[in-house]
Amino acid sequence: MTLVGIQTPAPVPTADAAVAAAAGRPEPQRRRRRVQPTTWAGLAFAAPLLVYLVVFYAYPLYENVSMSLHRYTRATYVTGEAPFVGLDIYREVIGSSQFWTIVWQTTVFVVASLLFQYSFGLGLAVFFRRAFPLSAVLRGLFLVPWLLPIIVSATTWQWMMDADSGIINRFLGVFGIDPVWWLSADHSLTAVIIANIWLGIPFNLVILYSGLQNIPTEMYEAASLDGAGAWRQFWSITFPLLKPVSAITLLLGFVYTLKVVDIIWIMTQGTGRSQTLATWAYAMAFGKGTSATIKYSEASAVGSILLLVALVMGIVYLVVQRRQED
Amino acid sequence: MFTTQRTLRILSLTAAAALATTLAACSSDDDATSSSSDGASAGGKTLTTLNIWDPYPQYDDSSDWATYVQSCAPSGVTVKRTSAATADLLNNLTTAVKAGNAPDVILLDNPAVPDAASAGLLAPADEVGIDTSGFNANLAGPGTVDGTTYGVPIGANTLGLYYNEDILKDAGVDPASITSWDTLNAALEKVTKAGHKGITFSGIAGEEGVFQFQPWFWGAGADLKDIGSDQAVAAGQLVSDWIGKGYAPKSAATDNQSASWDLFLTGDYAFAENGSWFAQAAAKLTDFKAVAMALPGKDGGAAPVPTGGEFVLAPLQKDDADAHYANAKQVISCLVGAENQVKTAGMLGYFAANKDERAKQIAADPVWAPWASAIEAAQGRTSELGADYTAASAQLSTALQGALNAAGDSAKVKDAFTQAAQS
Repeated sequence: MTLVGIQTPAPVPTADAAVAAAAGRPEPQRRRRRVQPTTWAGLAFAAPLLVYLVVFYAYPLYENVSMSLHRYTRATYVTGEAPFVGLDIYREVIGSSQFWTIVWQTTVFVVASLLFQYSFGLGLAVFFRRAFPLSAVLRGLFLVPWLLPIIVSATTWQWMMDADSGIINRFLGVFGIDPVWWLSADHSLTAVIIANIWLGIPFNLVILYSGLQNIPTEMYEAASLDGAGAWRQFWSITFPLLKPVSAITLLLGFVYTLKVVDIIWIMTQGTGRSQTLATWAYAMAFGKGTSATIKYSEASAVGSILLLVALVMGIVYLVVQRRQED
Repeated sequence: MFTTQRTLRILSLTAAAALATTLAACSSDDDATSSSSDGASAGGKTLTTLNIWDPYPQYDDSSDWATYVQSCAPSGVTVKRTSAATADLLNNLTTAVKAGNAPDVILLDNPAVPDAASAGLLAPADEVGIDTSGFNANLAGPGTVDGTTYGVPIGANTLGLYYNEDILKDAGVDPASITSWDTLNAALEKVTKAGHKGITFSGIAGEEGVFQFQPWFWGAGADLKDIGSDQAVAAGQLVSDWIGKGYAPKSAATDNQSASWDLFLTGDYAFAENGSWFAQAAAKLTDFKAVAMALPGKDGGAAPVPTGGEFVLAPLQKDDADAHYANAKQVISCLVGAENQVKTAGMLGYFAANKDERAKQIAADPVWAPWASAIEAAQGRTSELGADYTAASAQLSTALQGALNAAGDSAKVKDAFTQAAQS
């Protein structure tokens, strides 16, 4: 008997059908139970997962969207009153003077981070493809940014980027470059992008390195026999064959970078140009940053917008993947 | 094969049942506690645990403050103290009141009191039985919202100007000559020319930065109701120039008061704008001599300074309200009753909020002498605007951040204040 699969066995011709067929009459309707026992067993196994998904995914999602359609204030938590206002909150958020600036800053942050994380990750992965003495140790060291707690890395970057006594400005001074006020309102976006790139390189390195292992070495041998140089080999063999792995790496990186709050918050508290949609939602939801007023509804609206962007990117990925498979 | 499959099926169904039971148990937990509390009558019940929340995570369970709080417990009651950062305390209180397990007593930063009161999180002082008499009007002001008084100050503190006497001597600056903004700027120029650094202060985004900016803001004659006025811009220009000319560190835009005090402790800076809660520590410094004086106003005299310090309040209770309030009343009168005010304030490095007690406190310790006039004249931040203060503070914080980042550019400073006033 089979536990796996809910397929019902193919109908076995019974005596009735045989007789009917022999007599030339139409086969009588088969009496079949609606749900097979195996179906119930299957649902029972799926039940814990379904319950988990509903409680931890569907319900918070519903609450988030519901919050963005009602006017919430601090008093709502006590009195429970939150008048339904439809799409007013979305209109207010999208119509506010900061919205498009923050969207632009978020775009710059995500695109710049992904571009450099991916390039450096790919470069390092190709570099490590050929094993050399101590290459394993070096590769391990490159994982350190990923393993450190964010509070440690962010505080260290903030300390290094201090305008008056930071080590980065001291280093730039060796080349005669004037000290840069890294954490000022104008430069804060650049500062957090640099820190975020440093954080994201190990992830890209690990995944692209394992993707490189799947490219057969015979292809490189054949290419070098044909006289292709290293650069040509990279563009004609490595890069195209890495496309599936690259796609997933970029998608995961995109979704993660879109919602990153911790590195920005610890370094600059989202002041100046470093305000992204995620830090804006965080500041509004908990009354952090310049304003202590709690704006739950507006924060939920921004959160829903972020979710929509991530969803769109996910769909783009699926379309690209399907095209690759075809 | 039959036995293994059967075992697997039984195990899986048991796991599913266990998960479902756990979820049901978690959701019914609230029902269980509320049903048991509903059973008890509010009148004759006494509670054996008292929860007190304060914003002093730096004082752990072994500190003097913790022992002192424990000593205020009514007989037969155990006191459980929880600390959280001041910025998080109001949010924690909000969720606790909603869940019905609010603490009995909470110490809330004074500018947050009108917010908490208008959100319905606090019980009025009359209902709890707190004695609100005998406190200075300027210090007790934030505790009254729309005519109802909710609590009293645990103590008060304010801002002043500390200076490094050794550096001032070396640069040839007479501290008695610093009486206005011009003389302060002249002193800063002299000390930086002598090879030292100028002044540390905190300009961090949020209430802490606004608190530190207010002596300059009010010292210029500006009003919280009009953030875009010329006087406000002048105050912004003052601090902006300090950054631009290198008198103040660029990290002032992201430093909190603790960080700016640490910078002063290095001994490199001539001046520090910081609070009276550091006065006793400053008097004990051995690396250099630190002296406190009043912050100068724009054209002379002492600048109006804001009152700091927490209020002791009783949150709204859903169940057993009378029993909770009875306990709260006892602890609060123990902490801030006239005879104990100096002791409580001394624990925290604050001033007693009652005029006579404070006079005794100041007379007893010479370290408080420079602060005496400042604390008498200090103004509550929310006394005028009440619950609207939060919005005004947010505007001022945005303007301050813009001014500090402008580093002296007067067009940008004016822009920052004008835009913030419109937001």
